[in-house]
Amino acid sequence: MSETAPADEGIVRYTFRERVMHWLTGFTYLYVLISGLAFYTPHLYWLAAILGGGPTARFWHPWIGVIFTIAIEWMRQTWRHQMRITETDRHWNRAVRKYIENRDDEVPPSDRFNAGQKQFYWVMLVSTIFLLISGIVMWFPELVPWSLRSVRSVAVVVHEIAALVTIGAFIIHVYMGLFVVPEGFKAIVRGYVSPQWARMHHRLWFNRVTSRE
Amino acid sequence: MTNGWIDIKNTDMMLIMGGNPAECHPCGFKWPIEAKRQRNAKMIVVDPRFTRTAATADMFLQIRAGADIAFLGGFIKYALDNNRINKEYLVHFTNAPFIIKQGFKLPEDGLYSGFDAATQAYDKSTWNYEEGANVTGKPAAADSAATLSAKGAAQGRGGEGQGDQAQGPVGAKAIDSRTPATLPAKVAYDLSLEHPRCVYQLLKKHYSRYTPEMVARITGIPKDDFLKAAELFTSIRKDGDLKKAGTIIYAVGWTQHSFGTQIIRTAAMLQLMLGNVGRAGGGVNALRGHSNIQGATDMAGVFDILPGYLKMPNVADVDLSTYLKRTTPTTSKPSEWDSLNYWSNTPKFAVSFLKAMYGDSATKANDFAFHYLPKIDRKYSWAEIWDDMYRGIVKGLVTFGMNGVMIGPNSQKNIEALKKADWLVVGEIYPDETSEFWKSPGITPEMMKDIKTVVYRLPCAGFAEKDGTFVNSARWLQWKDIALPPPGQAKVDQEILARVFLKVRELYKKEGGKFPDPILNTAWNYTDPQNPSLAEVAKEINGRALADIADTKTGETIRAGQQLPAFAWLRDDGSTLCGNWLYSGSWTEAGAMIRRRGTEDPSGLGIYPNWAWSWPANRRVLYNRASCDVSGKPWDPERRQVWWNDTQQRWVGNDVPDIKVDSPPKDHMGPFIMNAEGVGRIFGPLAAFADGPFPEFYEPIESPITNPLHPNQSTNPVVKKFDSAIDKYGTTDQGFNIVCTTYRLTEHYHYWTKNNPMNVELVPEPFVEMPVELANEMGLKGGEKVKVSSARGHYIAKAMVTRRIKPMIVDGKTTYQIGIPIHWGYRGIQEDRGKTALNPANLLSPAVIDPNAYTPEFKGFLVKLERV
Amino acid sequence: MQTLQIKAISGHAGPVPGHDAQREDAGGVCKVIDVTTCIGCKACEVACVEWNGYPFHETTFDNTYQTMPDTRWNYYNLIRFNEHQFQDGSFGWLMRKDQCMHCVDPGCLRACPADGAIVQYTNGIVDFRQENCVGCEYCVTGCPFNIPKFNSETKKVFKCTLCSDRVNVGLEPACIKACPTGCLHFGTKTDMKELAENRARQLRNHTSHKNAGVYDPQGVGGTQVIYVLHDITNPEAYGGLPSNPRIPLLVRLWKGPLKWLGNLAMFGGVIGVVLHYLRYGPKELDKQAEQQK
Repeated sequence: MSETAPADEGIVRYTFRERVMHWLTGFTYLYVLISGLAFYTPHLYWLAAILGGGPTARFWHPWIGVIFTIAIEWMRQTWRHQMRITETDRHWNRAVRKYIENRDDEVPPSDRFNAGQKQFYWVMLVSTIFLLISGIVMWFPELVPWSLRSVRSVAVVVHEIAALVTIGAFIIHVYMGLFVVPEGFKAIVRGYVSPQWARMHHRLWFNRVTSRE
Repeated sequence: MTNGWIDIKNTDMMLIMGGNPAECHPCGFKWPIEAKRQRNAKMIVVDPRFTRTAATADMFLQIRAGADIAFLGGFIKYALDNNRINKEYLVHFTNAPFIIKQGFKLPEDGLYSGFDAATQAYDKSTWNYEEGANVTGKPAAADSAATLSAKGAAQGRGGEGQGDQAQGPVGAKAIDSRTPATLPAKVAYDLSLEHPRCVYQLLKKHYSRYTPEMVARITGIPKDDFLKAAELFTSIRKDGDLKKAGTIIYAVGWTQHSFGTQIIRTAAMLQLMLGNVGRAGGGVNALRGHSNIQGATDMAGVFDILPGYLKMPNVADVDLSTYLKRTTPTTSKPSEWDSLNYWSNTPKFAVSFLKAMYGDSATKANDFAFHYLPKIDRKYSWAEIWDDMYRGIVKGLVTFGMNGVMIGPNSQKNIEALKKADWLVVGEIYPDETSEFWKSPGITPEMMKDIKTVVYRLPCAGFAEKDGTFVNSARWLQWKDIALPPPGQAKVDQEILARVFLKVRELYKKEGGKFPDPILNTAWNYTDPQNPSLAEVAKEINGRALADIADTKTGETIRAGQQLPAFAWLRDDGSTLCGNWLYSGSWTEAGAMIRRRGTEDPSGLGIYPNWAWSWPANRRVLYNRASCDVSGKPWDPERRQVWWNDTQQRWVGNDVPDIKVDSPPKDHMGPFIMNAEGVGRIFGPLAAFADGPFPEFYEPIESPITNPLHPNQSTNPVVKKFDSAIDKYGTTDQGFNIVCTTYRLTEHYHYWTKNNPMNVELVPEPFVEMPVELANEMGLKGGEKVKVSSARGHYIAKAMVTRRIKPMIVDGKTTYQIGIPIHWGYRGIQEDRGKTALNPANLLSPAVIDPNAYTPEFKGFLVKLERV
Repeated sequence: MQTLQIKAISGHAGPVPGHDAQREDAGGVCKVIDVTTCIGCKACEVACVEWNGYPFHETTFDNTYQTMPDTRWNYYNLIRFNEHQFQDGSFGWLMRKDQCMHCVDPGCLRACPADGAIVQYTNGIVDFRQENCVGCEYCVTGCPFNIPKFNSETKKVFKCTLCSDRVNVGLEPACIKACPTGCLHFGTKTDMKELAENRARQLRNHTSHKNAGVYDPQGVGGTQVIYVLHDITNPEAYGGLPSNPRIPLLVRLWKGPLKWLGNLAMFGGVIGVVLHYLRYGPKELDKQAEQQK
């Protein structure tokens, strides 16, 4: 997706398509997360009730998971060039502690996506591959011959570990977007940010976008 | 069975051969398992393949189909050589000590004395006891050399060589063959068993040829394995042990050969030698193959007997007294011994039967209507009926629950025969191959037009829709009630038969005819003549008094019209009526004994005296006097069937004693009360058997080898081989070099379960079982189609490649055997779906029958195999 | 069966209602299958189908007497036939009745995430309650005997119930009732174990089967269904009976340590971000803008 010029309300951060893509991914993820958690531990089994009951949740989980995978793939095609790890990101990573402590002035400038965001992207992408493959095995375990039965339980463990990884990343992502980074949520809902925000958080991108005016 | 199902649990040793009870009698097989569990009994299984029964056996031997007499003969030799016999039993309870008259020749060349090649039959007058007295200890009379051996006999005939069988040995000419020979009243006997012509010595000589090497050659069983089995089975008599009991269990694996009767004879002789007959856990035990086949044979569903195994009258029986004279045996025994000879009561049984048949029309004045009975002039067995139909002699057939096309043998012959018949009536519960013979594979619509047979299909009732009795292998008559009525227009058998009979009688009344008397005068006094109640029929079979009769000894009387309590009450003066003397006592004034379900078994021997009623007289183990020694003490005090009570001066016991109850042991009354001699027959004299007093091994009619015992007389000389145009026989020269046998599966029952989804699920498709080695030779894999051909037809099905049938070395040649379950034809669930080749297995089998029982040789014929 | 007679429930948070009810159970019920007296007659197969009211299927020939290759959702028990050469050279045709073993420590129950879909009664019977089943097939993965079978139409899993309905009214299971040779026995685990051990001893002492023994695999805590085998050293010969069945390691991990680690990680993650906010708060834009100016 191309970068966009500033609008009257501010700089366009995410296009309509990008936002649809993000929220498709987000909501499908929420569904598989909640339904997955219900099956993950008896203490959260009650979650299935709000999703239409156990059998319904079990039925939709793999299908929504497939849609999630398609959305991730869409995201990969859309942002793969912008998510490549560069020298800038390596600098940023070395200063991540300062970022966490909100000493953003000491953090090296980022492009459209900072290293943290890129790491989130890659973690989700790789995890999704593991989730998809293990998920298919769990969807049709009877197709795995008895002689290869260990594949079934390997699939479950892989699925859970991958899910837990995405959950960890997700917790950080939501926390950052909702609580830590002001205008972050507005960006992905309304699509634009203030120039100050852009300059502060994604200096390199800000410079490139505004120079085109 | 001489014993019973439950009694099997009392045994120490089982030989299961010619039968596969785990497969075909799974419920009854519980009892052999109980014997193993409760007594550590051992089980030896001998079969052409490793069966479900073999899977639970202690020892399994694979035998070539049809070689059973060689095997059992080998056992007899082993028992004799190693003194594994009950000597006292053999001497006192069998005809082992009886002397056989001069002129008798053993069949070293395959023929006994008296064979007539022209008639293919034996003059059996030399197969007889010598008249005389106790010759124990006396030197044997100087016998002419010629009578002691076949070689001697041949020399006596002027050196015509062993090939000439036309003349008997020296002395035979002197026998008057016009009057039938009879057993002598007084028999010469030698209790030391040393006289060269005593039965024991002849037995020894006869089976001396059945060495382990010869057995291995004929049966294909390696010599060491055979010896192990012989040692194990006869171990019950090792070191003089007389306590242990052994049983022999068999089924149609023995009967379905052209020498089937003699196989069973060999087993019976072995059991007599071991002293097992009459004992708990012993006996000679046939497993009947149908829930009521025992009832069918008891009630004379075969041409050569009347109910209760009375002999069928023949054309020479000009009147009742001639018939009775011919069929009522007189005793033949050592004069010092006693013989009850229960068949001496034949006149009482026969006259009571005639009264049951013809009621008031049978009177003393008219010979009790004896002339109403049909007289046979030849054999009319199953195979003969179909042969007659094929030749156009039999014009019509009524068949009830009997699928003649599927049964065969030589099914194509039966189909062709039906084409020639004028009419066919089939009583069945669903359409079967016989009722649709005109649609059998290979018949085109054009050919159907030429078939003029009128087929009537009568829907009948299934077994749960009928009451009446089943008689099981243990001779128990068990009454059953109707579970649900027949559906739609289906009718019970008795209604169909009654209505046909009454209509025929009506026609005779109206139109007259040739000799209508038997039809018009048959007693038919049922409450509902069109549909007689089977309870009424059962009571009639039990018998009742027609006049007041009294027992002079006890003073007991029975009023006219009352049910008889036992066959001992039957009279020959017309004062009693009885449909089947054997069943007398089954429905008495006290009620239907056959309905009882008492579960008490005080002795723990599985006798259950109050459960239903077994013939005869509720005895559960036949010949049970032989369960005791000569003095009346049981051989095994822990398994006492009956015993002599000296205080009461009578025989008492856990079972009903099968002997005259007040005959003391010192009177030496023989336990085998149905034999004229009173003792068991090691030697079967005179007309007892068509093919010899001792069983001799003969090859099946289609055999892969020539009989090593006597190559010039390979097969049974008196066996009937049908020879119509459609009866063909195959030889190894024609490429038929694989031995084939046919059998049944647990999951199916003959030819009707192919209509039941449950059975079809368990075993859906027909198959041919064959050895892995043979399949590899042919490049065949399990599941691929194979074509089996005999000289008569072919059979196509999927191959079941298995390790349970191994290749064998028979007479030095590698021989393969295959097996075919019989359950599929051209009508059924899978057949109608097009999932089978639509051919009955019995297209392959030959129309060759046993000369004593007329059973066809369904097992042990030759085939060849090809890929399809 | 009543609630108090349940000792384990799948996917259930907290203790089982009847967990502290005292009960004399002699180890629960037990079915003994004496393979040495089995004749493979399949009366048990048919009795099970008929008792449970299932239809008969169309099957195909497969070069064996075995009715079908595996049990199905509506065919709970199956005799497995195997032509086998014993170590001493003798030939055997082994026939083993295969069905749910009703493990003391059931893998299916351990793996199941749906609350109440699988219950284990105090008498040891492990029962599927299809009304609570979500059709995820975790039980298929958890079972070391490959028993639970999925019905793709109704999306529920089924297996032998040890005729819990019959047992509940004091009857023996249908298969036991139908067995003609008395190869199947039913009673308490204590009694049946003794019966089986006696039979195995009898085989060792009085027959050629010197390796006879009782199959009651301790790797799953023992089972309510036990076998007497001719050769206890080679259970695999009996149509693939596992020699040392255990709930698969990964299943045990996934339902055990991994669960707690994961819960900890998620909980820790949430706590972590709360602490971060309390400590560092959000990123403030204004300060930066001011600095820029």
